[in-house]
Amino acid sequence: MLDFSLLLQGFGTVLSGPNLLAIVLGSIGGIIVGALPGLTATMAIALLIPFTFSMDPTTGICMLLAVYAAGIYGGGIASILIRTPGTPAAVVTVLDGYPMAQKGMAGQALGLATIGSGTGGLFSAICLALFAPILAAFALRFSAPEYFAVAVLGLAVTITLTGRSPLKGAVSASMGLLIAMIGLDPIGGFPRFTFGLTELTGGISFVPMLIGLFSLSEAFRQIELIETTERMTAKIGRVLPTIGELIVHRWTMLRACVIGIVVGIIPSMGPETAAFVSYSETKRNSKEPEEFGKGKPDGVVAAQTAENASTGGDVLPMITLGVPGDAATAVLMGALTIHNLEPGPLLFRDHPDVVHMLFAGLIVANVAFLVIGLVGARQFAKVLNLDRRYLVPAIMLCSLIGSYAINNNPMDVWVCLIFGFIGYLMQRYDYPVSPIVLAQILGAMAESNFRRSLAMSQGDLGIFATRPIAAVLLLLAVVAAVSAIRRQMQPGGARP
Amino acid sequence: MKLTRRAFTAGLAAAGLASPAIAQTFQRDITMVVPWAAGGGTDTLARTLVKNAKQYLGVGINVVNRTGGTGAVGMQSVSAARPDGYTIGLITFHLSAYRLMGLSDLSYRDFEPIALLNRTPAAFSVKADSPFKTLKDLVDYAKANPGVVTVANSGAGANTHLSAAILAKNNGIKFSFVPFDGGAPARTAMVGGHVTSLVSGPDEVLQYVKTGQVRILAMVGEQRHPSFPDVPTIAEAGFPNKEIVYDWRGIGAPKGLPPAISKTLSEGFEKMAKDPDFIALMDQAALARVYMNGADFTKFLAGMETSLEPALAEVGLLKK
Repeated sequence: MLDFSLLLQGFGTVLSGPNLLAIVLGSIGGIIVGALPGLTATMAIALLIPFTFSMDPTTGICMLLAVYAAGIYGGGIASILIRTPGTPAAVVTVLDGYPMAQKGMAGQALGLATIGSGTGGLFSAICLALFAPILAAFALRFSAPEYFAVAVLGLAVTITLTGRSPLKGAVSASMGLLIAMIGLDPIGGFPRFTFGLTELTGGISFVPMLIGLFSLSEAFRQIELIETTERMTAKIGRVLPTIGELIVHRWTMLRACVIGIVVGIIPSMGPETAAFVSYSETKRNSKEPEEFGKGKPDGVVAAQTAENASTGGDVLPMITLGVPGDAATAVLMGALTIHNLEPGPLLFRDHPDVVHMLFAGLIVANVAFLVIGLVGARQFAKVLNLDRRYLVPAIMLCSLIGSYAINNNPMDVWVCLIFGFIGYLMQRYDYPVSPIVLAQILGAMAESNFRRSLAMSQGDLGIFATRPIAAVLLLLAVVAAVSAIRRQMQPGGARP
Repeated sequence: MKLTRRAFTAGLAAAGLASPAIAQTFQRDITMVVPWAAGGGTDTLARTLVKNAKQYLGVGINVVNRTGGTGAVGMQSVSAARPDGYTIGLITFHLSAYRLMGLSDLSYRDFEPIALLNRTPAAFSVKADSPFKTLKDLVDYAKANPGVVTVANSGAGANTHLSAAILAKNNGIKFSFVPFDGGAPARTAMVGGHVTSLVSGPDEVLQYVKTGQVRILAMVGEQRHPSFPDVPTIAEAGFPNKEIVYDWRGIGAPKGLPPAISKTLSEGFEKMAKDPDFIALMDQAALARVYMNGADFTKFLAGMETSLEPALAEVGLLKK
């Protein structure tokens, strides 16, 4: 259970000179890496690991935690300003963040994104510190049938994300499901749709596909504007939100915090799923759902808060069970192992001081990027006034380098280019792009866990009804799908 | 990757000065391709191994993670690299299976094996409160109730899956295999009580054995595992088998390496395998340290394919 003296001692360690400096540097680095399309927090942590060899383990780990938390936040900045999510998680921030910036509310969007991320991150880090052992027991109750149910729930709420035409949304989502089929069969282990190409046995690489669909396609679209649109100084607006504004968003934030941490705790679900579930729930509960996607501040708050709220949840199964929640925490786990602190139940027993230091480090890291983000927002926003003739090639270069660097695999550059073109065509003909990404994540998760569940039950479908958590989640999925369809069928009703 | 290189060189410069004799073989840093993601178990092993490379080879070794195609992309890039010793790679168990499973034509024949570093057997384990106290209990129960015993493993075609399949085949029993995406989620399913038993590397369950949450019933292998002296081998548990499928990790270079460079690399890696930092990491993680030089490693790899073939046929993954 929580040991306050150990936590205080942890804060003492974290706030001492070199460690605090490491956190500040890590936060600045994390924001930059997160904001640059193609560079992700995962990569930044992996690149920093060798640096931390020569550091005191505590300092090294503080720095990596800061890069992790700030990197997840930083992804949203590029989403808002140039419509290119810096990290996969920031896909959802694009939906309302970019329209806000277009309306001259870039400052407000950045401010809300920063406050949202900071609040979410702090909430989850504090939850982690207070309830880690209890939450770990909760994570153990989840297995294949529950993961399947969560994925189905996620797919059901995709309907709310489909833009103007539900049919076009369904086309996008189906395409995502098809892409998820490529690669080794997750249960049988034989290749599917690989056409004999060794490169495809691991499936379509996710991050290069994402960079193509969002960043590169946007760069293609911007090329059209270079000649036609006149240069103008974009309005940035006020950054720091007022107290009144924050009160308006309190329920959105609270909902996003809870969704973020719950999704985060479930291994293999990370910030992208958290942001997306939070966004669609906020939209579903909103009085004016038709305003989402057109620059509604609520959408930005819902996405960013949940993204960072999932960080504590992702770190939790990593520390307590040795199961990383997503790619970034997998790399963090490797870093801890190299420093002779292998995560798992023994870490809690043998190194409670280190565990509490980690909690304190994560809390301080969230405060650090919150402050740095608010101070820097006005500077970040200046990118809006860059000449497109320089900005567009820079985005293209970043996209291609980023696609290659994530796996050092030349095939991924092709994946990025091809999906860049697909994404461009989709936008041109008004097909929403985000359902592809979400259906790919959730489709792969639903398929493998459905089959895994049936392997557990020797083929008995009853396993989904007899396990209470799975049954409730599946029921919720039915409710969500039915209500979304009914709302769309209503004559004159709100068409999301 | 500049960043990594600079970091490594900076870190390694402090580690020690090379003797002039070996410095003549290599003029610049060596690149080692790890075909798995940064931060994973294999990557951690690789990075710890080459941490002090400068001491032993006169130059540093930079780790580059080149992932994709279930490891084939990275390994392929090593086999296709110029055989000058500046590109080497970490090669893993999957190399023994690609050709047999029809995933890629790549096999150990495309490499010059330099050193085997680790050979991990599969361990059968259950949750501490499980009624099964020995492997015999589990097998007897599975015999009486075909298909009811669920066995989590780290993925179809993995050494864990194949080891359990061989046990089932030799004893005429039927397990329901539940494959997961890696050892950690498989272990979580067992600890959470969602499956009857787990077949994994012993290192995967080490922490849980120490906290008393998990019991290892038996381990595949000729001898007992040094980190688990109380755990019987599968033969001691009453189920001897000849085809032992190991998970393994080693170092390989492109085919056609000049003998002098091959010799320097072999000697360097033999010393790195004895580096105290590496030994400490491997022992702490309960990864069995097994050093073999290039010639023995090649023999081991040939034998591995012979053992794998009937095992893959048993689970329906053999492509011929």
